[in-house]
Amino acid sequence: MREAEREVLAQELIARSRADLTEVVVTDEANALTRFTQNAIHQNIDQRDGTIAIRTIVDGRTGVARCNAYDPATLDATLARAIELAAFAPQDPDAMALPGHANYAAHADGTDTATSLATPDERAASAAHIFAVAEASDLWAAGYVRTATNGITIANSLGALASYERTDAAINIKMNAPDATGYAERYSNAFAALDAPALAARAAEKARASRAPRAVESGDWTVILEPAAFGELLSYLTPHFSAQAFEEGSSFASGALDSRVTGESFSLADDASDARNIDAPFDFEGAPKLRVPLIERGIVRGIVTDARYAKRLKRPNTGHALPAPNAYGPQARHVVVANGTQTAAELIAGVERGLLVTRCWYIRNVDQRRTIVTGMTRDGTFLIENGAIAHGVKNLRFNVSILDVLGRATFANDAVRTGGYSYSLVAPTVRLDGFRFTSSTEF
Amino acid sequence: MQYATLAARALDTARLRGATYADIRFEHTRSERIEVRNGDVAVLSDERSSGYGIRALVDGAWGFAASSDASDTGVDATASRAVAIARAGAAIGTKRFGQAPTDRYVDRYATPLAIDPASVNQATRVDLLLAAERALHVDPRITVGRAWVDLWRADKEFFSTTGSAIAQRIDQSGSALSALAVGNDDAQMRAFPGDRGLYLSGGWEVIERARLRENAGRIAEEAVALLTAPQCPSGVMDIVLGGSQVSLQIHESCGHAAELDRVMGWEANFSGTSFLSPEAIGSLRYGSPLVTIEIDNTMPDGFATCAYDDEGAKSGRSDIVRDGMLAGFEMSRDTARMLGRETNACVRAQSWEHVPMIRMCNLNLLPGETPFEALFDGIADGVYMEANRSWSIDDRRLNFQFGCQVGWEIKNGKRGRMVKNPTYAGVTPQFWGSCDAIGDAASWMPWGTPNCGKGEPMQVGRTTQAASPARFRKVAVGVGYDA
Repeated sequence: MREAEREVLAQELIARSRADLTEVVVTDEANALTRFTQNAIHQNIDQRDGTIAIRTIVDGRTGVARCNAYDPATLDATLARAIELAAFAPQDPDAMALPGHANYAAHADGTDTATSLATPDERAASAAHIFAVAEASDLWAAGYVRTATNGITIANSLGALASYERTDAAINIKMNAPDATGYAERYSNAFAALDAPALAARAAEKARASRAPRAVESGDWTVILEPAAFGELLSYLTPHFSAQAFEEGSSFASGALDSRVTGESFSLADDASDARNIDAPFDFEGAPKLRVPLIERGIVRGIVTDARYAKRLKRPNTGHALPAPNAYGPQARHVVVANGTQTAAELIAGVERGLLVTRCWYIRNVDQRRTIVTGMTRDGTFLIENGAIAHGVKNLRFNVSILDVLGRATFANDAVRTGGYSYSLVAPTVRLDGFRFTSSTEF
Repeated sequence: MQYATLAARALDTARLRGATYADIRFEHTRSERIEVRNGDVAVLSDERSSGYGIRALVDGAWGFAASSDASDTGVDATASRAVAIARAGAAIGTKRFGQAPTDRYVDRYATPLAIDPASVNQATRVDLLLAAERALHVDPRITVGRAWVDLWRADKEFFSTTGSAIAQRIDQSGSALSALAVGNDDAQMRAFPGDRGLYLSGGWEVIERARLRENAGRIAEEAVALLTAPQCPSGVMDIVLGGSQVSLQIHESCGHAAELDRVMGWEANFSGTSFLSPEAIGSLRYGSPLVTIEIDNTMPDGFATCAYDDEGAKSGRSDIVRDGMLAGFEMSRDTARMLGRETNACVRAQSWEHVPMIRMCNLNLLPGETPFEALFDGIADGVYMEANRSWSIDDRRLNFQFGCQVGWEIKNGKRGRMVKNPTYAGVTPQFWGSCDAIGDAASWMPWGTPNCGKGEPMQVGRTTQAASPARFRKVAVGVGYDA
């Protein structure tokens, strides 16, 4: 469904509603993914769907109903159901705080026509390049090639009307040897910008270099986390900047605004206009999405809000609402870490003895308020000796406080988009000193 | 069946385009959620979704296309797309994963319901949660109280070119509450039942069985008490795990490890592989002789119970671990064939738009013979832990570290004072090998997980791991807090 059709649909539903306030969110998605293992495609899919979410507020009471059919009978029933549900909710004085008409900042185009038209044959051709690299190195490849197109329109009876289109593409490769693995990834809104052979070569080189991994001792290490590894770690820090976590006291930032929490080298902002991770200039309530400095030179400077939390906390609405209804509150989903000045190679060259980590796995909070997490290394972990990669090592489990290790951080100048399906952010390679590993595994 | 005509059209189109086999799965789902947070109804939603997914097999390669467009032209286009996708894969592949099934089922199934959720009006639902959440506020240090209900209904119709025609109505329900206490420069959370609620197949009777209101005060008081409780000790000691934590232990260290697609590398780039291998069946000691873990996708209230899986195979029972020895895997048709076995129908898709894949279904640790209180016998110095808070395991499912919401010291066979932040760690076969007592049938509960993640695009699965509390010897405790 095109932008103009989505906007007409949303406005027609609003016109038919008898609620005090009506919000309609229309999405249209096409997602194609070619997934492979053992140098062959084993899952090859194409998903197409559109959804209509209707939020109604009647006498301060909110109900939400959602459907994925455009016929008038289903739409009318969904609108009626949203109004019906609202009758059972208690009154909420903050419910009517939704934004009205707004002018959105000029924003780079998030679409690439060739990506929206990408065929299964084009994705298969990229996969074939990856298989060729794997076979030439006596490895097998697992991963995916993805292309997607998403459109969204948000409108409400206060006058908000916002639409955005975005394409997306990704290649994710894990190269496998009998005793080692290597990983590479890249994301872009343009499929053509992804260089499958180059990514495959990078993953293959990591797999080759980590053959015959040796065990190293647990304890405190200097580590170099590449962007994929650092991004995974950061994804456990970003929920702390939610106004909801801030208010309820589960965030480290509660009571810590304008306090120093990391070293001066670390600055973090939420910025959906960053060209490396471009997204809509508005949130799921239609509020303009502001660039929010979260940590500046180690000092907590901000949290993100939505309409409800802006009113509750008497702070500006930063435009970080998730789709309604949700129990998570506003979230910083486009964080960008400020680059350092050195190259990643220079960071490695400066390490006398340490570990290079390509990717992390299964990080979980151990103690949320203290930002203590545990997790594993995977897909390319190396010993660094005298500034050079010495050999692969067996994977290790870490237990660290994220804020604590960011107190001893040096950043490279190579920030790129990383993440995948669970999160998406921009992060550089980082050196962290005193990174605690507590056990190792057999591979 | 409602969709028979449309299905015939889709399957004809797929055959005409060159598919040697095709199936189509229509689903109409309804998802209702109510969540109360600090006296507000934070979520009151009703979501309906309809659509279909078509699998087509061309020259041993699968293609999958899904759409919500149920017009004749929409179905034709989607079937054609599925075939084109399969053909694109076949064109570059030297390895063939797929083979056309030959079995055929014509049947109907519906989840047994004691109380149809549709018979419980919205006011009753909301009032139950408001009362339960209100009962959490026993102390001003409770900064967040939450209580929620999830109700899901899926009407599915599956048709294949072998002539299968299967209609199923699956009802699943669940509820929970949680309390966050903040104070003493700390934040502590307790949830009930278990760590994320009681989730089962069934109707409103599942919500009543949770007894949220009756347990809210106790749970909140525990959260407050944790703020001033001593830190869990660190060291190697004996532990007893509550039933829901044993369920999580099965889920992470057995359930995922025994998914045969993972064993074969199909999930290698994301959720990982497995330390298990087909050659290990019958020879790998997975745990102590007390440990028997079996699939039962027919148990009446199992969260993953259905009569047929999402590739049209019939549900049943089979062994994963028998008397401590590895006995089998969770399988699909294609993966089972590679082992020379028959599928045990462990294939699920999150929704109509998701490709069916191997999922952990109902995977249960059979009960032992030890009454719950007797599990503490013989422990001079240990910890009893309840309700998961943190879970992490490596990508071959060996090295794990788990944390629980609450613990109690065990001294000389008796449960003692409460401790906070209990954690433990281990390596899967050694840990299960240290199990020397499992709670009896009276303490055995079907714990459901509503949000198991796997696959790309990520799919959320619903699974049960029924378990009793159990005792494990000489385990590393306090990991992560021992600095």
